[in-house]
Amino acid sequence: MAESIKNKNIEIVGFACSYCSFKASEMAGSLRMKYPEGVKLIEVPCSSRVDPAFIIKALIEGADGVFVAGCHPGDCHFIKGNYYTRRKIAALKEMFNAFSIDGRLRLFWVSASEARRFVDKVTDMYNNIKEKKK
Amino acid sequence: MKGKELKSRDIDSLFNGFLRDEGSIILGFKKDTITIGHHVFKGNIKDFSLINPFFNANGALYFRRLFSKGSRLLFVLRPCEIRAYVELIKLTQMEREGMIAISVDCPGTESVKETKGMTSLPEDIRDYFKEDTPKRWACINCREKRGVVGDGGIRLDKDFNMWIIPYTEKGEALIATLEGEWTDVPQDMAIKQDKEPEVFKTDLDMLKKDLSKCILCMNCRDMCPVCYCVDCVFNTDEYLPKGDALLNKILRTGEVDLPQGKELFHLIRMYHVSQTCVGCGACEEACPQGIPLTKYFKGISERLQGLFSYMSGRDFNEPIPYTTFKEDELKNAED
Amino acid sequence: MRIGIFICHCGHNIKSTVDIEGLKGHFREMVNIACVEDYPFMCSEPGQALIKSSIERLGLDRVIIAACTKTLHQDMFKNLVRDAGLNPFLLRRVSIREHCSWTGEDKDKNTKKAMRLIRAGIYSSAHYEPLEEKQVEVNKSALILGGGISGMSAAAFLARAGMDVYLVEKEDELGGHVRRVGDVWPIRERGRDIIEGMVKELKTLDNVHIFTSSRLVSFGGSFGNYEAVIKTKDGEISITAGGVIVAIGFTAFDPSVKPELQYGVDKRVVTTLEFEENMDDLPLKEGSRVAILHCIGSRDDTIGRPYCSRICCINAIKTGEKIKNHIKDSYVESFYMDVRSHPRGGEEFYEDTQEKGVLFTRANISEVIPEERGVILRGEDTLLGMAFEREFDLVILSVGMSPSKDNHEIASLLKITLDKDRFFLEAHPKLRPYDTALKGIFIAGTCSGPKDMEESINHGRASAVKLYGLLNLGYAFIEPFVAYVDPKRCSGCRMCEQACVAKAIKFDDNLHIVKVEEAACMGCGLCNATCPSSAIALRGYKDTMIDDEISALTEAV
Repeated sequence: MAESIKNKNIEIVGFACSYCSFKASEMAGSLRMKYPEGVKLIEVPCSSRVDPAFIIKALIEGADGVFVAGCHPGDCHFIKGNYYTRRKIAALKEMFNAFSIDGRLRLFWVSASEARRFVDKVTDMYNNIKEKKK
Repeated sequence: MKGKELKSRDIDSLFNGFLRDEGSIILGFKKDTITIGHHVFKGNIKDFSLINPFFNANGALYFRRLFSKGSRLLFVLRPCEIRAYVELIKLTQMEREGMIAISVDCPGTESVKETKGMTSLPEDIRDYFKEDTPKRWACINCREKRGVVGDGGIRLDKDFNMWIIPYTEKGEALIATLEGEWTDVPQDMAIKQDKEPEVFKTDLDMLKKDLSKCILCMNCRDMCPVCYCVDCVFNTDEYLPKGDALLNKILRTGEVDLPQGKELFHLIRMYHVSQTCVGCGACEEACPQGIPLTKYFKGISERLQGLFSYMSGRDFNEPIPYTTFKEDELKNAED
Repeated sequence: MRIGIFICHCGHNIKSTVDIEGLKGHFREMVNIACVEDYPFMCSEPGQALIKSSIERLGLDRVIIAACTKTLHQDMFKNLVRDAGLNPFLLRRVSIREHCSWTGEDKDKNTKKAMRLIRAGIYSSAHYEPLEEKQVEVNKSALILGGGISGMSAAAFLARAGMDVYLVEKEDELGGHVRRVGDVWPIRERGRDIIEGMVKELKTLDNVHIFTSSRLVSFGGSFGNYEAVIKTKDGEISITAGGVIVAIGFTAFDPSVKPELQYGVDKRVVTTLEFEENMDDLPLKEGSRVAILHCIGSRDDTIGRPYCSRICCINAIKTGEKIKNHIKDSYVESFYMDVRSHPRGGEEFYEDTQEKGVLFTRANISEVIPEERGVILRGEDTLLGMAFEREFDLVILSVGMSPSKDNHEIASLLKITLDKDRFFLEAHPKLRPYDTALKGIFIAGTCSGPKDMEESINHGRASAVKLYGLLNLGYAFIEPFVAYVDPKRCSGCRMCEQACVAKAIKFDDNLHIVKVEEAACMGCGLCNATCPSSAIALRGYKDTMIDDEISALTEAV
């Protein structure tokens, strides 16, 4: 923990739904789209698999930002999973807001075809956090 | 709102009447010449006290995981304790069937840690409501001191007449056993509705500073009425590695402060209880290090519950927000 | 633990932007690593042999393949590991191509990222457990949505192969758009005749069940045993089908979306489809002046249709040729952006038509102005860079293909995805163009993007072959990634049960814990994330696995 905080690179951990955002990230790779190397993904079967404890752990252990990326509302492969995700992430954002660490957690909806959107979202988040860290 | 006026002798007849059935018990407060505290009454309610000005633990803790059917239990406790019961019932940690919960107007409490003894308790109930007694932070900032939760409530009007009011059919059945007419309850009560809590705001450094004293004894968790898991995630090596797992982690990542994972433990626990926390401050009471935990747990949970217009323990039928959703909500949580 | 790491160069794809030797050196130092190997192509025969022999020789109990993303070659690598005597669920794929070497330019940074990604794979795979795929029997039948040329082609193949086929068409007769085509280029037959021939063939096959004027109303189940309810004119019918082919076609672009074209306002502005259906009704006579407008509803960002519809150029050429052939002394001018006559023989046809006297003008048409004497076209000749105004007797719009209005409904019923243009999305644009993300559900024909007839027929047949290949085995394996409960740790709070979308969690009143019905579990992991003590967990995605991945991705390298 101590070392990674000293590390100047921005580290972002993203949880990506295997049915949409992860596929979008694969497509982004195939299309040779570039995004900062600090963005690293963990594949989950559905964004609703993301336990807020994971996010807390990632931030405490030194990640500068965490994002959860799932299917657009209504498009969840598991029918309703992403609505639960939204509730949990909203609650967690409220909590981080209370601790004045807002902006470090984001929730994206990225469908399997939206490689460009995936890249734009993560790049924007990266730049935003980098700006704040200066 | 209809209810019945409650005289001192009515309390005896109502509760002793309840206890007349074999297997019925009442959890309330018992006061004798030396001590006052939680007590389970059987047979009769000798030395029963409606109010206990000292807080040591949340009474909801004691009957968690009560599943025996057919038992009859009556809880006559503070609003924060009844609210914790309501949450535990939603979480099926209690058998709802034979249970009746009555909340009593609470004047606020003093920490048992702070007080030198519990002698000379006032005889007159109105003396409890004097402003000059020292109060715990949790009580000063309490958002529900009124006996308005559970199956029924015992309330005091502005002239300190006692009223018993039913909120559910169960409460109504109990109160029906009491003689006297159903009458309109006065509007003006001794304890008014509390102001909406201020939006809690702090920062991580403040938390780190406050937690610097933490020894991770986890008493706060163990005494929390709504931390109901039979086996906590923090008992495993997953978040708080010990022994080999700790060594492994150190070899991988380098130095660590010990005890390791204080912020992680408190923040994750804060999230876990965020929708069910009643802000009673039992955690702070249990902390041997005197860490001001209530302000964090109560502050965070009130914000997180506010997000879903939820209030823990307010209503038996309100689902816990993380178990449900609306399709059209929380758009501003999306980036 | 004996972990083997296999790093693929993917030719230059990984090697050129990731320091393979650096990675090898790094991981050789780690505990529990039995071998670190690299090879130009792990998916090649020698690459596979390297993995297999390493497992056998070193007795590996974890295999980490750092190569392309896990959706590629997964079955092949799993079988390889299984053949070597290791449970295939102890294999971990790490994507250092799509998620590392292709997305970053700095070799040093990429190498560090790859280190972390591979570490994440090592840490989390330590918690893997051997799992068995469950074998289920499959129903050798297919549900085909859409009775156009693509769906009918698929139906004919599957029925001849001996499978039961349920062909569902929303209109009252089979045939789709092809039925309306008066002159199919280049065979110069009537679309109706082609369709009738196919219908006749289908009707001779006993195992084809045709439902016209019918719609899919509900859909569930899983590969091998999909459950569908079809609403027909005689009521609702429930069917079980092993797989599904979606071939619901397209909707012709409605030019009234662009009011400047005056379509629907003036009768002298018609579409190519209307021209095909009945040329005789149109105001054409000797010496008529006809304008043909290309790219109507295609390659047009302003109306959200940036794609080329592929068929409209040939349609426009064919239309011009036909008028030239049939109307004496007619003047035909075709206004195009550029002519894309890609089918075989298309270019020659384009040239022939020009020789017959159809004039092709590269232009942007800005306005169509109907006046009594004729329809005025106003625009700019983009080769000459000059504005023009010309008068015509008839304007024919060569309309493109729009996604079917039913796409959204079908996509949400079947839980498959649409692309940004609202056509159905394939699993992979090159390697799996007929597949969807769901096993046994295929897409065929124009519902996955504009195609001509030949392509649509091929697409339908290809989907049918793929589905046949899956179903013909008679059984299927179901991934064992379902939730399970640790009875000693479950508090019986029933939060997971309330949240579970699949209703796969049941409460045991006596033991006061929950239980998972594995057959119903969809494997989303919502229960796992809802349980505060993680007493209910999702196999393959357990807390410990994900937590260790987080550690790997956040710790210093």
